[in-house]
Amino acid sequence: MSRARNIWVVVPAYNEADVIAGVISRLRAHGYRIVCVDDGSSDDTAVVAERYGADVLVHPFNLGQGAALQTGIDYALLEGADYVCTLDADGQHDADDLPRLIAALDEQGADFAVGSRFLGDAVGMPAGRRVMLGAATMFTRLTTGLALTDTHNGIRAMTRRAAERIQLRQERMAHASEILMQIRSSGLAVVEVPVTVSYTAYSLGKGQTFSSAFRVLADLAAGVLRS
Amino acid sequence: MIAQFVLSALLLGMLGYALIAARRTRFVSTLIGLAALAGLYFVWQPNSANELANWVGIGRGADLVLYVWVVLSMLVGLNLHLRLRTQADQTTRLARALALLEARKASGDETSADR
Repeated sequence: MSRARNIWVVVPAYNEADVIAGVISRLRAHGYRIVCVDDGSSDDTAVVAERYGADVLVHPFNLGQGAALQTGIDYALLEGADYVCTLDADGQHDADDLPRLIAALDEQGADFAVGSRFLGDAVGMPAGRRVMLGAATMFTRLTTGLALTDTHNGIRAMTRRAAERIQLRQERMAHASEILMQIRSSGLAVVEVPVTVSYTAYSLGKGQTFSSAFRVLADLAAGVLRS
Repeated sequence: MIAQFVLSALLLGMLGYALIAARRTRFVSTLIGLAALAGLYFVWQPNSANELANWVGIGRGADLVLYVWVVLSMLVGLNLHLRLRTQADQTTRLARALALLEARKASGDETSADR
């Protein structure tokens, strides 16, 4: 008899106490194991996440989303994960998309499944955000050669093999490009899956700005020089 | 002559710094080392500096040396920035290890009540 698949979802969170309960409850409804990485929040994010059924890891201070993701991935691997998924804590992603991401891994033999709001739906996305994401996608296509339509989407699924090969060093938001660069250099197979991203006043308030895009570029350049 | 000795001492110090830092950031350290060697050459061969300055259209050799010094300072700044980032990387690994050691397993009170 084959054992049940051990699917973990990594939720990096920073001051998300107001919304984290809903996010975790929706994930729990699918039967996933959840690890919430509290990235040095000053509110009750960790307490709420634990109460609603997530394993909780707490960074002693804020390190950035990339660092939180890597911490969560490391934990999921230690817990014997067969698949590792990631999803933002601000509620903009739909947990119902995760089964299709995992199915894409199984059916297409891929190592990585990344969500695309441009193949799916982007509810309430402001025009400025569309322009910024378009530029980021173009940049990542040029630097990685991966023909993806949405390169900065936080909802992903990966096999254990892929998770073991990813080693994020970009602590902040440049990790999204870094993951794709590592996928490319490791020769991992990647597929895109249509997903829905819903923008709310809350998620937009926590989202990226134009100046963040320049910071991402600077972080990536520094990363190249460091290596 | 005094200025030449003072500048030479500083540039030699810079060269030593580049050698020490080469293990961490090879590319930037190589640039710093080359710039320091160029500086030493121009300090002791000012006429060459004048000739080179005229050739690249700067005018005076002293200005060229000044520009080399400015570039050198910027490279040292960049190197320090990269070293700071390396330290930040180490801090992240330490914080991660701490977080993993103190992992809190889910209590699931609210969820178990819902299911």
